[in-house]
Amino acid sequence: MKKILLASSALLLIGTHAASAEEKTLTISVYGFAQDAFKELVYDPFEAKCGCKLVVETGNSVERLAKMEANKANPVVDMAVVSMADALSAGRSGLIDKIDTSKLSNFNKLYDVARDPNGDGMSVGYTFYATSIVYRSDKVEVTSWADLLGDKLAGHVALPNVTTNQGPPTLYMIGEAIGQNTPDLKGAITAVGEKKDDIVTFYVKSSQLVQLMQQEEIWAAPIGRFSWEGFTKMDLPVKWATPKEGQTGGMNVMVLTKGSKNQDLALQFMDYWLSTEIQTALAEKLVDSPANKEVKVSPEIAENLTYGEETVRSLKLIPSAVALDNREAWLSEWNAKVGQ
Amino acid sequence: MFHSRAEALALALPAAVFAAVIFLAPVVILLSEGLRNADSWTISAYTGFLSDPLNRTVFLRTLKLGAMVTALAAVIGYAAAFAIVNLPAKGKGRMIGLVVLPLMISPVARTYAWIVILGRTGIVNQALTSIGLTDEPVRFLFTETAVFVGLLQLFLPLMILALISALENMPKDAIPAARVLGANWFQVFSRVILPLTREGLVIGGTLVFTGSLTAYITPAILGGSKILMLETLLYQRVTVANDFVSASVIAFILIVMSFAANLLLKRLATARSKR
Repeated sequence: MKKILLASSALLLIGTHAASAEEKTLTISVYGFAQDAFKELVYDPFEAKCGCKLVVETGNSVERLAKMEANKANPVVDMAVVSMADALSAGRSGLIDKIDTSKLSNFNKLYDVARDPNGDGMSVGYTFYATSIVYRSDKVEVTSWADLLGDKLAGHVALPNVTTNQGPPTLYMIGEAIGQNTPDLKGAITAVGEKKDDIVTFYVKSSQLVQLMQQEEIWAAPIGRFSWEGFTKMDLPVKWATPKEGQTGGMNVMVLTKGSKNQDLALQFMDYWLSTEIQTALAEKLVDSPANKEVKVSPEIAENLTYGEETVRSLKLIPSAVALDNREAWLSEWNAKVGQ
Repeated sequence: MFHSRAEALALALPAAVFAAVIFLAPVVILLSEGLRNADSWTISAYTGFLSDPLNRTVFLRTLKLGAMVTALAAVIGYAAAFAIVNLPAKGKGRMIGLVVLPLMISPVARTYAWIVILGRTGIVNQALTSIGLTDEPVRFLFTETAVFVGLLQLFLPLMILALISALENMPKDAIPAARVLGANWFQVFSRVILPLTREGLVIGGTLVFTGSLTAYITPAILGGSKILMLETLLYQRVTVANDFVSASVIAFILIVMSFAANLLLKRLATARSKR
């Protein structure tokens, strides 16, 4: 028995050793969505090109950041994609390195906002999305974020929960519309709390909104552009609002793990992902809206993306530092005013 | 050749090691998070959590909803299980199949189905309007009632199944004997059926209560996030605040609540039978 155990553990050791010696491995950490498309369009072609092996770890950003924190001394992941605010948080906890953009041949093709979103040189944006209000155009006209709390939509509107990605941006824009836009979002959260009974639901999954609109439960809701396609497939007249205060949204960025032994390979991979060819391919499959301004897509594709210089420039994003420093306060304010 | 005791231990060892490593160790590590600050052990996270009036309200609300769901599940469960056990063999099998069926469907899908049923244009509101009880659709969705109904439907099958097996194990002539001796139906239930099926009630009750406490998706979707529960609070602490200390405190409270419910049910069941 002992002998078998010894023999098998010895085999195991030999096995892992052989694999690591064989070829270079790049470990990336990404959101667990559209992985089939990413494999076909990004991972497989990159592996063929670099002659290396790509290991992909997926999960939500909390899990993945917790993992990076735990492996800080001996990093497993070489590069990761996270939200803007999470990138700043990782930078503050010393998990990531400055990105040498001179090694990214596609860097100058990016929209200005994507080049260094947090101003710390530690992240590069690769995709973003607009957040605005989808509404039933036969029932109401939405021209301002304040309309969400107005009389016409009372009892017919869903808002995102503060815990979702769309929650804080929506509150940010409501604050802007009612003229009380402070970083603590107090004005907006109070206003939502007062109208709580007029809000049908504070959604946690945007996938449920199509059903709610189909069932006439709601006439309007703030959503990310990536959810828009589902609404256009209903037999109902729906429109994407262009509120006078502007649209909001979010950006996802690439970061480089501090202490990674494969930083050069990671930079090659980032550069590949940011290239016009790959960004176009991802856009055409409606996986990610391009951050590379040289990407050209047909109007039908553009309709379902956040696309074009003008759109991108008009997005009012919550600065990462504001989000990071106020998250906790938003939650307690929300729990006190809305969650009761 | 081992002695029989050593052999038994050896056989149990793999499962015990597996459970300890895969289940117990992570739970202990998780819970110890809540008892540590930078360099020493402390219960400040617990006292801090419980001293916040908002957290106490949420705790009591979660407890109340769990208790109500469990109580109603027991009432409906006894009626259903009693009816099913007294069916002929063929019908019994079919009915048990029907009870089990919902367990094979994802809780998410079952929760979404309630959005269709309870909606403004759903069958409940259609029925109410067509018999003239109401002109305007009634708002069921995104209320505490909706969460209650959703949780009850989610976990009722567990109660029914536990009670069916308990009732099956009851001596067949116990009820006729009690009736012959002059017991009314209430006495039959409280003096005969309940004591003889208490194991089933304890198991079913614990499963339903624990399930209701820890269900996340049903309160989140059917409650419209207007009402905070312990599980939604836990989710907030982890995903938004990245605060594993409070999360571990909430997890510990939920575990204690489940154990307490189990002990309480056992106590209630034995107290009855001693009378």
